[in-house]
Amino acid sequence: MLNFARFVLTRAVLAMITLIIVSLVVFSLMELVPGDCAERYLAFKNTQGSGISVADIENERVRLGLDRPFLERWGKWIVGAFQGEFGDSCILRVNIAQLLGDKFWISLGLCLASLMLAYAIAVPVGIIAAASHNAVLNNSLRLFSYLGLAMPNFLLALMIMLFSTVYFGDTLTGLFSAEFRDADWSWARVMDLLSNAWLPIFILGWSATAFALQTVRALMSDEIGKLYVTAAEARGVHGRKLLWNYPARHALGPIVNSLGFDLNRIFNELPIVALILTLTEAGALLIEALARSNDQQLAGAIIFLLTASIVTLNFLTDVMLAVLDPRVRKSIVR
Amino acid sequence: MTALIEVENLTLQFRTDEGLITAVDNVSFSLNKGEVMGLVGESGSGKSVTAKALMHLNARNAVYSLESRITLHTDSGPVDVLSLKTPRDLNIVRGGAVSMIFQEPMASFAPAITIGKQMVEQLQLHGDYSKQQAKNISVEMLDRVGISDAAKRFDQYAFELSGGMRQRAMIAMALSTQPKLLIADEPTTALDVTIQAQVIDLMKDLVDEFHMGIVFITHDLGVVAQTADKVNVMYLGRMIEEGPVREVIRNPKHPYTQGLLAALPKLDDLDAVLTPVPGDIPSPLERPSGCVFHTRCSKIVGDECRQTVPENRSIDPTHSVACHIYSEVPA
Repeated sequence: MLNFARFVLTRAVLAMITLIIVSLVVFSLMELVPGDCAERYLAFKNTQGSGISVADIENERVRLGLDRPFLERWGKWIVGAFQGEFGDSCILRVNIAQLLGDKFWISLGLCLASLMLAYAIAVPVGIIAAASHNAVLNNSLRLFSYLGLAMPNFLLALMIMLFSTVYFGDTLTGLFSAEFRDADWSWARVMDLLSNAWLPIFILGWSATAFALQTVRALMSDEIGKLYVTAAEARGVHGRKLLWNYPARHALGPIVNSLGFDLNRIFNELPIVALILTLTEAGALLIEALARSNDQQLAGAIIFLLTASIVTLNFLTDVMLAVLDPRVRKSIVR
Repeated sequence: MTALIEVENLTLQFRTDEGLITAVDNVSFSLNKGEVMGLVGESGSGKSVTAKALMHLNARNAVYSLESRITLHTDSGPVDVLSLKTPRDLNIVRGGAVSMIFQEPMASFAPAITIGKQMVEQLQLHGDYSKQQAKNISVEMLDRVGISDAAKRFDQYAFELSGGMRQRAMIAMALSTQPKLLIADEPTTALDVTIQAQVIDLMKDLVDEFHMGIVFITHDLGVVAQTADKVNVMYLGRMIEEGPVREVIRNPKHPYTQGLLAALPKLDDLDAVLTPVPGDIPSPLERPSGCVFHTRCSKIVGDECRQTVPENRSIDPTHSVACHIYSEVPA
């Protein structure tokens, strides 16, 4: 038990180090964007009609601390980042933490909910499908998987919206009803969010489920063919005990391993769905910041939060893996 | 000597997308208590499929012919193995009166379950034991097969043991329920030679001690010579020669058996050229007509080899061969 605590601690420290390295990469990328925040701000002012001199830009640079050496600025940024403080947006001139508000957490929540939905369905169904010789079940699952993998999310979203508009007169867009949009958090607002969030979760979960089903099924088919399963059968283990204690239990490790990767994939799909459903969430904001406004401060903040979430999830799956698989546990703990 | 298991006219085909594939063709043999039978042949000869049939363990697409009969004689009377359907009925041939050990001890233990847990599970499936009783039996058994620190090994996983230890643990697990018949599917092939000898010695001891029958599957005639009382040589699903082990090795009758023996390296004459059996075992999809071995046989006696299936002919009361060379011998 003490060993296990040490293992978790080591993993946590490693995750932290990963995060710091990632922050260095993110920060360097932010720096690589041509121009800096001072130029961008003053260029913006210029379009508003005020004249700008080189000295103005220099002054702004000093004011923002951009004249300091790279490492010092990175250090300042990372210390802030760990406290949830990312400075001001280059373009919008407001505090990023305020600008983002709950948007990032809502996005992350949507993604995690989709991920959970996907695996809650894919794990049992995939396991049963791999073990079953029922042609109807297997073929319908295959059909569902192909549909899920082949149909783009935005098309599914549009179809559902169209259907709902025609038959129910409700376009199903947005995450909050009008009266809650800018309200403070309250129980009613949470309920309102949930009553609207099912659609993006369903749409994101649709393809994620199809994807996860394929993964689970393939991993299970692999395990079922292994000798230890035959050996267990030869000892008289049979039925559900054979299925769940042997191949299913051993397929769980690699399934857990794929979680971090899947979260990233779902997050990447979120902005398109968000655009169609007119959700206000961080994925869309990231695309905006990266592609349109060149707002490196905002983009950096979102990317950092996203990678931090993935690193955290990977840390959690590592711990889960060690709990599930003695080979992992014993190789590191000792 | 009383018969332990009798196999009669075992014919087994697999239903596949390419049609029915014959894996075992009209095989009959019997094994007595306390007897060790070597089942020898190349990969694809049907020896593992035959062994699995004894536990009714072949894949779902296996089709047994109506004439196939496998009878296991237990203390409570004969059991018609192939008629067993439900898991509860099958229990007796799966880990109860019949146990099996496999070629790769590493792969035959579930990697994420302790050895002890797997042993206890088997014991509780086949006997009315409490967890503690089952544990005691398991540890005792591990100790019996020569595993040091058995109580500690009980809580370990297969990957924590060495290759030889794993196979010993596998043997301990297989014998924990005191089966009457042990099927050993190439149990020493994956082991180092020195460990091989230890495991073979251990198995010999255990046959004497538990007085059980062993079906020993191998492609290694050397191992058979050390362990078995009698030997059956299989080729492409057919049993082509059968007899006491010394007799078959000193005086092989079938050209295939002769070929297998000639392909063994001889330590007393290192300059001797090895003479492999020419060619490859044909695909089961293209089973040769007549004698299944004729495509590789160097001693073809005529068209009958290509056209008619040779009958089993007795060379002497215990030694029989299925080959046209011996057609003058009455069948």
